[in-house]
Amino acid sequence: MSEPAILLKGVSKAYRRDQIVVPVLDDLSLSVEEGEFLALMGPSGSGKTTLLNLIAGLDRPSTGSIFVHGHDLADMSDSSITRWRADHVGFIFQMYNLIPVMTAFENVELPLLLTRLNRKQRRDNVRTALRVVGLEGREDHYPRQLSGGQEQRVAIARAIVTDPFLLVADEPTGDLDRKMGEEILQLMSQLNTEFKKTIVMVTHDPEAARRARRILRLDKGKLVNDHVRVEEPMEAAS
Amino acid sequence: MVPLKYNVRNMRVRWVTTALTIGCTALIVASTCLVFSMAAGLKRSLRLSGDPLDLLVLRAGSSNETNSGISLDTARSIPTLDGIATDAEGNKLVAFELLNIPTVLRRDGNRANLIVRGVDLPTSPALRPDFQIIEGQMFEPGLGQCVVARNIARGFQGAGLGETLVVGEKESYKVVGIFTAGGSSAESEVWVDRRDLEKNISREGSITSAQLRATSLETLNQLKSTLDDDARFKLKAWPERDFYEAQTRSSLFLLVFGALIAVFLSVGAMFAAANTMFAAVKNRTREIGTMRALGFSRGDVLISFLGESLLLCALGGLLGVLLVMPLSWFGLSFDLVSFDTFAEVTGALRIDGVVIVIALVMTIAMGLFGGLFPALRAVRLDVVRSLREV
Repeated sequence: MSEPAILLKGVSKAYRRDQIVVPVLDDLSLSVEEGEFLALMGPSGSGKTTLLNLIAGLDRPSTGSIFVHGHDLADMSDSSITRWRADHVGFIFQMYNLIPVMTAFENVELPLLLTRLNRKQRRDNVRTALRVVGLEGREDHYPRQLSGGQEQRVAIARAIVTDPFLLVADEPTGDLDRKMGEEILQLMSQLNTEFKKTIVMVTHDPEAARRARRILRLDKGKLVNDHVRVEEPMEAAS
Repeated sequence: MVPLKYNVRNMRVRWVTTALTIGCTALIVASTCLVFSMAAGLKRSLRLSGDPLDLLVLRAGSSNETNSGISLDTARSIPTLDGIATDAEGNKLVAFELLNIPTVLRRDGNRANLIVRGVDLPTSPALRPDFQIIEGQMFEPGLGQCVVARNIARGFQGAGLGETLVVGEKESYKVVGIFTAGGSSAESEVWVDRRDLEKNISREGSITSAQLRATSLETLNQLKSTLDDDARFKLKAWPERDFYEAQTRSSLFLLVFGALIAVFLSVGAMFAAANTMFAAVKNRTREIGTMRALGFSRGDVLISFLGESLLLCALGGLLGVLLVMPLSWFGLSFDLVSFDTFAEVTGALRIDGVVIVIALVMTIAMGLFGGLFPALRAVRLDVVRSLREV
């Protein structure tokens, strides 16, 4: 087996609130292979979102190392980790986090403005991304003109438009009804199987977790269960 | 870079705040421009009044015409000096002038000081830049006629063409012509025949000042030292340029006043812009977090919010200048009481490069300093925490 895409060694994270130090993650080690679909589960406050943020390079560990493709994120400067996120990570948020004053097209184009692509190349990439998420023809719609599910699709298009190897999703279906949530999860499965994206997803929802190939359970900042599904995960086409 | 349309559209979305901020900035820039263009107009009018070869001769010890008096006997020796220029007909370019500053009824019913200048023909007009009768004709000496500057004709009762200007109980002049004088200070005056005036105000045998033109800068200096140094004359010759330069005290006051207004109001506008931008940062915290997550740098965020603040103030500044522009185009004039003569001086608003530069500097200062702290707040936002913001 090749080296893991993501490798966490002895990672701890504590926040300081006023004078009190609040531990969130405690000496956590973990490795994720390229192409995995990983679900992080656990009660509120168990540290799953913090773990996701660390893997995505949004936050820094208090101690320990996080290697992504051999680079230690903890060693990177703020500007180089920002650059790294732009190149390698796609973000999917619970509340979609689209820019309200920008159209679907412009929202998806946003991360491409950080690349060297010219206008035409950007347009082609945006069209492709929107086609993958099934939203062609909605380019000129503003977020408020779209349903929640459609908004999340735009957000997913924005996450994949730069073709990152890693997608991180924090409760991607948390704000959607069951049917729309199903569609989003199906799309994510497709991105995993068809486009070989490594996906790390935080979720409360056991249904959502069923899409993942591997389920990690956290409690009080510790890994309590690392379960690789024996049976095949639900197929994208199901 | 965060695209500019992000800022423009956000400004459009919160258009009420945007409009108020732009309006506030516009008014501040406009009022500052107004004061500075008044100063520029006044300065120009005073500068135009001075010809580099002209000397203004006053009594020694006088710094302006109001407290000067020269006996005609003394004055008569002035044209005999060497180095005085002549006009095409061979007349020596020397004019004796007598000044009277009565209070006269304005058309609005108030009384104001008015400069009535008794002049010599044809030399007095020849010594003014661009003196032109634009309506009617030049007065005939000895007939109690007068010509009136265009600005004065509008402002004072009886000063219109064909009317009779009453300046005292027994003193009145028939207005036979309207003149302009290239924007110089003569445009705030009424001109009458000097002999008419000296009779009317019982000042026979004395004049206020003599004006003359030298043939060259060299002879100007010779003439000046002859007049200044000769103990018999007790005169003081002022190169007109210097004289009017000294008179720009009124415009200096305007400049100081204008600068103070500009500084105070700009600080006020900075707070207005800062307030608007702080609200913008607060309302868009989650968007800022999202953009940072997507890979936009702190620099990108700083530039975006500073840019928005600059854009906001630039629109205000532009609007402000546009508000004042027409006033200058339509030749709007204003009346100011001169500190030297207490007579009204009419100047035209003038938007020159200086005014535009001041407006520009104000705008940039307001935008930068107003936007700096909100933009820094946006930059310092913790990405993880701002993503959780609702």
